[in-house]
Amino acid sequence: MSSVSSEESSNIVEPYALPLSKQDEWKDVTPLEQEDGQFPICPIAYTDKYKEMMDYMRAAMAAGEVSERAYRLTSDVLKKNPGHYTVWVYRKKLIEELHLDIEDELAWLESIAEMYPKNYQSWHHREVIVCMLLDPQILADMPQDQRVCHSVIRRELSFLANVIDEDSKNFHAWSYRQWLVRRYGIWEQEKVFINTMIDQDVRNNSAWNQRYFVLVQGDTSGNASIDDGVLQAEIDYAVEVIKRAPNNESPWSYIVGMLLRHAPEKLYKELLSRIQQLSNDASYGQAAKSSPFYWSALVDIYESRAAKEDSDAREKTLDLARSACTALATDHDPTRMKYWEYRQTTLV
Amino acid sequence: MSEASKTVLDSDSADSSMLLVDKHVEYIQSLDKRQDEIEYWMTEHLRISGIYWGLVALSLMNKQEGLDKEKVIEYVLSCQNSDGGFGGHTNHDSHLLYTMSAVQILVMFDELERVDADKVVGYVLSLQDPVTGEVSGDSWGEKDTRFAFISLAILSFFGSIDKINVDGVVKYVQGSMNYDGGFGSEPGGESHSAQVFTCLAALAIARKLELVDRERLSRWLAERQLKSGGLNGRPQKLEDVCYSWWVLSSLKILDRVHWVDCSRLCEFILSAQDTVGGGIADRPGDMADVYHTCFGIAGLSLAGYKGFPLVHVDPVYCMPVSVVERAGLRGWIDYIPDSWKD
Repeated sequence: MSSVSSEESSNIVEPYALPLSKQDEWKDVTPLEQEDGQFPICPIAYTDKYKEMMDYMRAAMAAGEVSERAYRLTSDVLKKNPGHYTVWVYRKKLIEELHLDIEDELAWLESIAEMYPKNYQSWHHREVIVCMLLDPQILADMPQDQRVCHSVIRRELSFLANVIDEDSKNFHAWSYRQWLVRRYGIWEQEKVFINTMIDQDVRNNSAWNQRYFVLVQGDTSGNASIDDGVLQAEIDYAVEVIKRAPNNESPWSYIVGMLLRHAPEKLYKELLSRIQQLSNDASYGQAAKSSPFYWSALVDIYESRAAKEDSDAREKTLDLARSACTALATDHDPTRMKYWEYRQTTLV
Repeated sequence: MSEASKTVLDSDSADSSMLLVDKHVEYIQSLDKRQDEIEYWMTEHLRISGIYWGLVALSLMNKQEGLDKEKVIEYVLSCQNSDGGFGGHTNHDSHLLYTMSAVQILVMFDELERVDADKVVGYVLSLQDPVTGEVSGDSWGEKDTRFAFISLAILSFFGSIDKINVDGVVKYVQGSMNYDGGFGSEPGGESHSAQVFTCLAALAIARKLELVDRERLSRWLAERQLKSGGLNGRPQKLEDVCYSWWVLSSLKILDRVHWVDCSRLCEFILSAQDTVGGGIADRPGDMADVYHTCFGIAGLSLAGYKGFPLVHVDPVYCMPVSVVERAGLRGWIDYIPDSWKD
């Protein structure tokens, strides 16, 4: 069940001036046509140039040809159709067996990423190529600020900065970034990057997700232990960002979800008083209290507190949680009324 | 709606507040006759998935006979390689995605015995890392929670779940669960509705739904509905018809479909129909394709669309419930955790 993204079918380029059949380089090869005549439900109609390229591509692959012309042909085919995973596999084999320049390969991949930023295969190929280029052992004894100065890392970070600048929520770019940060241990640099990204757009959920990834140093199991001071700093940070845009799902989801996992008592000990201050603030209070996420956070916070209280106090706290549900169902989030009505029944 | 169809006289255009069943059937049937369009040959590498999407859409409208069964099966079998897997098209390398589509098509036609079960099962098993339990999509090694789901689903069709390291698959899926209750494409990856579906469906088949944070995840999914009535895949992204499936199937597994406003969702899906040429687009005004046509109709079925008696769809396997029952695979419902019974 793969998805067809619109990016994958746009930006068609015409790589050839002369047909392959007229080029000396290919005159020894008999093109291998696609055999699909007997399945009329799916005859393939290519434009002539693409069809010819594929015929030569098939012939080269069938013969197991290892040559630079075959490598160049994979470039042209993949530029037209980067979803062709068979051709990517062949290309990798050619790079290895011909000992081709890997820096050139990365530069070429950058042009592909520009045309098709959401193509799975090209991102995977990039990982494979960077693995060939840099063994993490080489960086193991360096401090982190020196690791990011290594030419390979610098190049990757600058490439990623460009892709993320183009589309700040590109799933593939963030996933590749996590792979890079984890593999080469460059966490400190990533903290700086994440703060910049959130500062640019406080609603960028991909950046908030990356913030968590860095916070737990890649241990996303939920069992990572986090220092008290760090947790406190995260609460302060999230509340400051919430001030700037209270009706923004991401920081609320981050801080409540993170504390629920790692320090549930901090929800009602520290976060509660911080957001109560916020709601009483002359400049920000009104906006905060009209955000469904403020009320929704209160439900979670009061529920956590109630679980730790004895029966009298507990009932009062649950009342607070239930009235937050009512406020959500009637005023702040009527689209999800049925959810809030249900949620109220769970607060017992 | 395509540029060409916009110029057609209004009289050819139909009422977009209803599901245009006949037009969608014609649209799906016409897909193999569109060789003059660039999208046709650009999608060669996933043609077999295109057939699966078309077949699901037709089946849910009770028009399965719209495709020629024998021709389709003959084509599907021609995509199988000597490693036991299926390529996206004849003579293409095997990939787990297309093996899934091939097997699903055969199951829907009740013709799974036309393939050598041991070979397909062997192919799937060859993609699991015996140490970590992770599953790759092909012999190249790309890993993703999509493949965790697909490997379990394919094996379940052949009654061979016990042949894979299920605990390893489950561990990988569980490691991809995030602080917001959602799931990403791998441990650490941002929550995304489509990955949520694959992870929930994997856990359903593995009988491990109790690992899910049902409350947090259901709320995150309900949060995906936007003012237009449509659903998005992640916070701050645009609505898209395909998420009608990814989000609603997930909520169906969680038994929380009623937490979104289904009538407004139906209106959104219907508004993305091409009222002239048939098919459904990602959102109103864009060009229709078979992928969005499939997931739009599947979404309507889950949302309880009243305007046409759509066939019920199984939220784990994305095939008619009757097909999944015939295959003996509706058992996942019996393993819904007791604590979920509201």
